[in-house]
Amino acid sequence: MQKKLFGLLSVLVLASMMLTACGGQAATEAPVVTEAPAVTEAPATAEATEAPAATEAPAGEEITLTLGSWRVDDVAAWEKINAAFHEENPNITVKFDPTNPPDYNATLRTQLETGTGPDLFFVRSFATGRELFDAGYIASLQDLPGINDTFTEASRAPWATDSAEPYAVPIIAVSHGIYYNKDLFAANGIEVPTTWEELMAAAQTLQDAGVVPFSNGTKDAWDINEVVMMQLIPSNIGGYEGRMAYLNGERCFNSDEMVASFQQIKDMQPYLPTGFEATSYYDSEQLFAQGQAAMMFDGSWSIAAFQKDATDFEWGVFYPPPLEGKDQYVTFHIDAAVGANAASPNLEAAMKFLEFLESPKFAELLGNNLPGFFPLTNDVPTLSDPIAADFMGFNSTASGVDIRFVWEKLLASPSGSVDAYTSLNNNVIAVLKDEKTPQEAADSFNADVAAWYGPSAACK
Amino acid sequence: MRKSKLNKFFTYIFLTVWSVIVLFPIWTLLINSFKPQKEIFRDPFGFPKDFTFDGYIAAWNTGRFDLYFRNTLIVTVLSLALILFVGSMAAYALAKWKSRAANFLYIFFIAGLMIPIRLGTIDLVRLIKALNLQDTIWSLIPVYVAMGIPIATFVLTAFIKELPSEMFDAAKVDGASEWQIYSTMVLPLMRPALATVAIFNMIKIWNDFWFPLVFIRSEEARTVALGVSLLFGQYRTDWTRALAVLSLAAVPLLILYVLLAREFIKGLTAGAVKG
Amino acid sequence: MAQTATATAVEKKTGFFNAELKRTMTWVLFLLPALVIYIVFMAGPLFDSLRLSLYQGEGYNPTRFVGLTNYIDLFTNPLWRERFFGAVWHTCIFFAIHMIVQNSLGLFFANLLSSDFKGRNFFRTIIFTPATLSVLVTGFLWTLILNPNWGAVNKTLVAVGLREYALPWLGRENLALPVIALTSVWQWVGMPTVLFLAGLMGISDELLEAARIDGASEWDIFWKIKFPLLKPVIGIVTILTFVDNFNAFDVIYAMAGARGEPSYSTDLLATLFYRTGIAGEHPVGIPNMGMGAAIATMTFMILMAGVLLWLYLSRRQIAEQA
Repeated sequence: MQKKLFGLLSVLVLASMMLTACGGQAATEAPVVTEAPAVTEAPATAEATEAPAATEAPAGEEITLTLGSWRVDDVAAWEKINAAFHEENPNITVKFDPTNPPDYNATLRTQLETGTGPDLFFVRSFATGRELFDAGYIASLQDLPGINDTFTEASRAPWATDSAEPYAVPIIAVSHGIYYNKDLFAANGIEVPTTWEELMAAAQTLQDAGVVPFSNGTKDAWDINEVVMMQLIPSNIGGYEGRMAYLNGERCFNSDEMVASFQQIKDMQPYLPTGFEATSYYDSEQLFAQGQAAMMFDGSWSIAAFQKDATDFEWGVFYPPPLEGKDQYVTFHIDAAVGANAASPNLEAAMKFLEFLESPKFAELLGNNLPGFFPLTNDVPTLSDPIAADFMGFNSTASGVDIRFVWEKLLASPSGSVDAYTSLNNNVIAVLKDEKTPQEAADSFNADVAAWYGPSAACK
Repeated sequence: MRKSKLNKFFTYIFLTVWSVIVLFPIWTLLINSFKPQKEIFRDPFGFPKDFTFDGYIAAWNTGRFDLYFRNTLIVTVLSLALILFVGSMAAYALAKWKSRAANFLYIFFIAGLMIPIRLGTIDLVRLIKALNLQDTIWSLIPVYVAMGIPIATFVLTAFIKELPSEMFDAAKVDGASEWQIYSTMVLPLMRPALATVAIFNMIKIWNDFWFPLVFIRSEEARTVALGVSLLFGQYRTDWTRALAVLSLAAVPLLILYVLLAREFIKGLTAGAVKG
Repeated sequence: MAQTATATAVEKKTGFFNAELKRTMTWVLFLLPALVIYIVFMAGPLFDSLRLSLYQGEGYNPTRFVGLTNYIDLFTNPLWRERFFGAVWHTCIFFAIHMIVQNSLGLFFANLLSSDFKGRNFFRTIIFTPATLSVLVTGFLWTLILNPNWGAVNKTLVAVGLREYALPWLGRENLALPVIALTSVWQWVGMPTVLFLAGLMGISDELLEAARIDGASEWDIFWKIKFPLLKPVIGIVTILTFVDNFNAFDVIYAMAGARGEPSYSTDLLATLFYRTGIAGEHPVGIPNMGMGAAIATMTFMILMAGVLLWLYLSRRQIAEQA
């Protein structure tokens, strides 16, 4: 028996050696030594962890930069973008190296804190990115040519300090809407609704015809919050100005406008799929793509997925219509920017790439290779994808455009308190599960946020 | 006689029902990986009508599975060999050395079972970097060996303590050294316990993706678990490919297990934990 | 004369010390390799990290010393208290389900598999098979099978006319945790089965045969002979189940996310630790390592208390037997 075990072990070792042989040269390549091991004893301050090695790359030397991201779905498109950059800068190669979204923040931080981070990386907006910049992991872009002319202040703000010092190049905005099955709408004699009341009537008609009106669910929690609730809020509160009234404490978070938003969630409840509590985001997309549900609240980033899967029927998008008598406001969310690792030994090359991200060429590549991700440069290229163009169209017909409700200032709450995102999310789900009335949900949302958000102190 | 037939009948019923429960999800995984996306949702549990290898072709072409398997195999085999070797030596000392130090060390070792190892990640990344092992598969081995030592010492020490002490006394009278006793008497007797430890750790190491995730960036050093989790994320909306990726990860270990199963169960039950 | 006598005595004494020293050295050499690897790559980093529970600050290496503030917060701040005790309670339920369902099933299967019948090896192989799958695979598969829209479970229930029992299994607060625990049982039941099987194979056939000749029923044989003899194995299985499930993370993360959906109802100590100390709350993702380390330290203390109790009880049992 023992002999057999040893025999087996040696077979395994042999097998792995054979694989090594087949694996070829890749395996024998020594790990790239980016610094002398002596420097690794971590000093106290973060900035000092890794003095950028003084290996100023002479012109012509091959440099490879890694670009960290949470967009695992977009590998092919980014390879194209990076190839275009390589054409312009033949000695620099950029490798797109994404991590799954749930692991992104944690792995990036681990790598940055231990000096193993990528040279360039996607930076989350507001508090999350700001915290990494304050800790010294992201290079300042104060001197990056063109950054102030290429982007509006509103686009730069999510990645800039209070004194408007930028630290990442904004690249992507996303929009939101309701994807709808045109065939099912036509078969049931439904027009694209222009008010919330019409939308609910349409949902009732569809349900009577035995079709699931909306495919959305709550299993993954984030989607009901980000692609449903935060699309309803702007029209109720009056877009950017309305949001500012909450942020500077003029309105409380249980104002009538907020209750109305929770009420809309409640209105939708009967029209969600059976078992919506256990329906995940990807399930929702499939329910719609398979033609089992007539509508889905979703982000513009899903265009490509639906183009691939929803091939048996005609479909389009419209924006969630406002309540009767309210104006239409659209959530056009500034989502991602790219920053440079302050400790990268190839900072200069990284800056070149960041400059490339400001170019019209990049905007055009991004807009057309990743339909549904909108470039943020002032000169927006024409989008070849009709659905992406429809999403862009929402912005021009709306009374106003704004980012998602809780992103600015309301995300980073002190330890032991509930941030606005989490509170909104929990309360929306509570309404859908009949655990709270819209008024109770709004009150609880207000209590959670006012407990720590200074300007709302009077709302407690 | 009739009674024992009835017993046998029930034995078969229970075990067959459980086998169906075990095999059904695995069957679901395999058959769906050969179906186009639409068929997966229309008929998730039937036999594929529209047979496709698309998922496997895409997965194989995008991911370097040959490299992933080689890496995982090297890491797993070397880590297991080291765990069994250093773990069994330590366990022998912990079981036979009658002293306060040994008692303390025993508790010290098994304390490692009780803290999530992720907590120490940052220190470990620094350490790996200081050893200049980052981004290589060798970075994983010392961490996995350290992770395996608590369970190894725990199970093996308990096992050695159960062995009859007369046996050791007799060997000592014959003038055998501790090393001789360990290597010629204890090790062979410990086979079943070693098999238990090996299987426990093999599953953990093979499927771990946290440490590859933080230690490793380059394609060449990725393990199956890491490669699969990345590809799986990439294919979240393409279920044919996602399932093909998952099958590619699961099937080799399944085959390995089925090949080893007889030996494994024989090894476990041959010596047996003495009741 | 007298001088030589003292000399021999001294020689004897040093000889004794030398032998003692040599014995100790032997044991130290046996322990050294494991000890070095364990201290450098596990104990050191872990204990260094537990120290972090006394600090506050951003990132994974908080530097502001705050004494016991994190612990005080954990027990007095209503939010932390609710999350922490929620997680402790869910972890206890999760452990209890494994203890009761997984280990009873394991014992039951082991008993069936220890008898001699055709196809025994096939079934022995099958039972352990799910343990070889990665949690990514089991999580994905069971979510598919339990899906309210196209999952096999609900389709079957509807087909046999039990539509009202076709529930959103992973979407209800009171269902999700037991259901996920059961999928975990599905995956790991092979472990106790194999360990019990090993124990049962160690019981001598003559003993069982004698009992059968005396006319004892299989039921009696199981409870009066096999079960008492299996006690040491039951002890080991118990403690492994305890330690494994108090650290359980992967299956919840794969099936219910880092927040333990729905509404934290499947939040275990390990997911709470991960969310607090490693990943941070979605979508901000700024970790609070000091608090994370405090949660890990509390988990460690609960586990240590359990293990020490177990060691005490098992030693007492051995002493009683002797």
